[in-house]
Amino acid sequence: MNVSRRMFLGSSAAAAAAAVLTPDVVKAASALQQAQNWELATADVAGDISPRMLELVHGRVPAGLKGTLYRNGPAQFRRPGGSAQHWFDGDGMIRRWHIEDGQVQLTARFADTRKRRQEEAAGAMLMPGFGTLADPRARIGSPDDVNPANTSVHKVGDKLWALWEAGSPLEMDPVTLETRDYVTLRPDLKAMPFLAHPRIEPDGTMWNLGLNGRGAIVWRLAPGGSLVAADVIELPTASYIHDFSATARHLVILLQPWVHSRNTLPLSQAFEWKPELGSKVLVIDKDELSKRRVFELPPMGFFHVGDAWEDADGTIRFDVAAHSDMDFAARGASEILHGVPLDEEPAELTLVVLTPDGRGRLERTGMIAEFPRSDPRRAGLERRFCIHTTGTRKGTPLASAIGVTDWKSGRTRSFNFGSEHVTDEMVYVPKPGATAEEDAWLIGPSVNLKAGVSELHLLDLARIEDGPVCTWRADVALPAAFHGNWV
Amino acid sequence: MRFLIITAAALSLFATTSNAQDAARLTLNIETGETTGTVNIAVFNNEPSYEGNAPVRVLRMDVAKGEHQAVIDGLSAGEYGIKVFHDVNDNGRMDTNPFGMPVEPYGFSNNAVGNMGPAKWDRARFDVSGDTAHTINLR
Repeated sequence: MNVSRRMFLGSSAAAAAAAVLTPDVVKAASALQQAQNWELATADVAGDISPRMLELVHGRVPAGLKGTLYRNGPAQFRRPGGSAQHWFDGDGMIRRWHIEDGQVQLTARFADTRKRRQEEAAGAMLMPGFGTLADPRARIGSPDDVNPANTSVHKVGDKLWALWEAGSPLEMDPVTLETRDYVTLRPDLKAMPFLAHPRIEPDGTMWNLGLNGRGAIVWRLAPGGSLVAADVIELPTASYIHDFSATARHLVILLQPWVHSRNTLPLSQAFEWKPELGSKVLVIDKDELSKRRVFELPPMGFFHVGDAWEDADGTIRFDVAAHSDMDFAARGASEILHGVPLDEEPAELTLVVLTPDGRGRLERTGMIAEFPRSDPRRAGLERRFCIHTTGTRKGTPLASAIGVTDWKSGRTRSFNFGSEHVTDEMVYVPKPGATAEEDAWLIGPSVNLKAGVSELHLLDLARIEDGPVCTWRADVALPAAFHGNWV
Repeated sequence: MRFLIITAAALSLFATTSNAQDAARLTLNIETGETTGTVNIAVFNNEPSYEGNAPVRVLRMDVAKGEHQAVIDGLSAGEYGIKVFHDVNDNGRMDTNPFGMPVEPYGFSNNAVGNMGPAKWDRARFDVSGDTAHTINLR
């Protein structure tokens, strides 16, 4: 296997460096050293992180900043008897960064899933996943038996839901992060899939999808999290869907030409890249799901889209982090688990425009970007700004910079934390009492590879290029997380 | 996940005659979180009967009347496997969600769980001899 071969080559280089020092060997050893540092981004965390205060290491904390950043991402991949083989298959660890009176308290706990309990008892990762095969010893009687609850976390009413994409939400206590139970929204919908990227209207109404080949369940939840409706619809293609979008009036479902075409495991190998199919966008009326339109687009791969909006004439726009294919999902995200840097082209921030005449087009920016986020108060409504990671390039893992792209001017401003940082997605924080879109902060963590710890950064959206307004440092390193929200 | 297919058919019950000649007795306790409906129990005495859904005994428990225990007399001493499902709404079938996953509680002897399907005989089989008690938790 490629991963093993690369790891073997890396080890050989280290051994050789000890014996004979040539420029090539120095280069190889340096690459290995970097690779070792990068491993913090996908490292295992030994156990839950008890509440602890962070140290302010830069800047001044703005008055009135108060709230909680919840984030989720995999934090255990390896056990003595067997390990996960894909970045998406580690156990979810929910991080709570609580800010009050200028102080930050960090708590992090693993989602106490059936998966994790079974694997802890066995001393081995057993469960199948996106890129991991099932161990024959695995006991699996429900999709939630394999659910790592590792992709995102949302506050729903007074509860916290850790989300995956192929099983139920997992309810946790929003303060202690104690795991409660899997959420069944209606008895006849037990164990139905629920994506980790629900679209949430400004009033709290939640829309989501759950996928099964060309079948999709459309979830509609009231602001407190109770079920309003759940309907099964058919999609034009059996595309891999990690995320979808919505305007105030429509669900906007981007369908990429990475389609389920083989009944094989792991899941990442069941999809096939078929660029000849192009991409499609299914637009569905929220009030009448049978009213639908399909737009055609050039082929692109994607994980993440931004909130969509509609112009007065009905033109629909949304941002997408467009990949040239889905090689990262099929291969790169396995290799990254072993410290192997990316070797595919990073995603490009692109605006999808769907016009009332039934045509779709892509407005490419040339800007490297992933994890698009925006003002949640403007979800589904016209907006200017897209917050995203950037600074990703071949030969490095993940991102080192944060950008804000203004769709009105087409300009991107960014701040690069440098190659010593791996930055997570950052999210939008309205300033107290402010309503203007630009009057906001961005908040999110990075792994400081040099210091070997996690940091939390606050940036001013209007002056992002100045770098953090303030930075707090933890005494632990938490690996890169996928998604989260500010409440 | 998409590839997890647990067919309700695999849990379906077929009544057959029993082969009661021996003195072994099995006391079966069923634990279920639901308080309505009927628990359906199928007892198998070898791998072909278990995998082929040809039980040697079938039993029903009226959960609404508080029944949670069954005593099965006259079994031959030997290996057995059991499949149970709780028909909570008494509609005569094991209900599934729109993507085909069971939504009513079910279970197997040894509280065995399959590997992306019903538990196989090798996980569910257990010995019955003399007076044997066995508890199955439905989930």
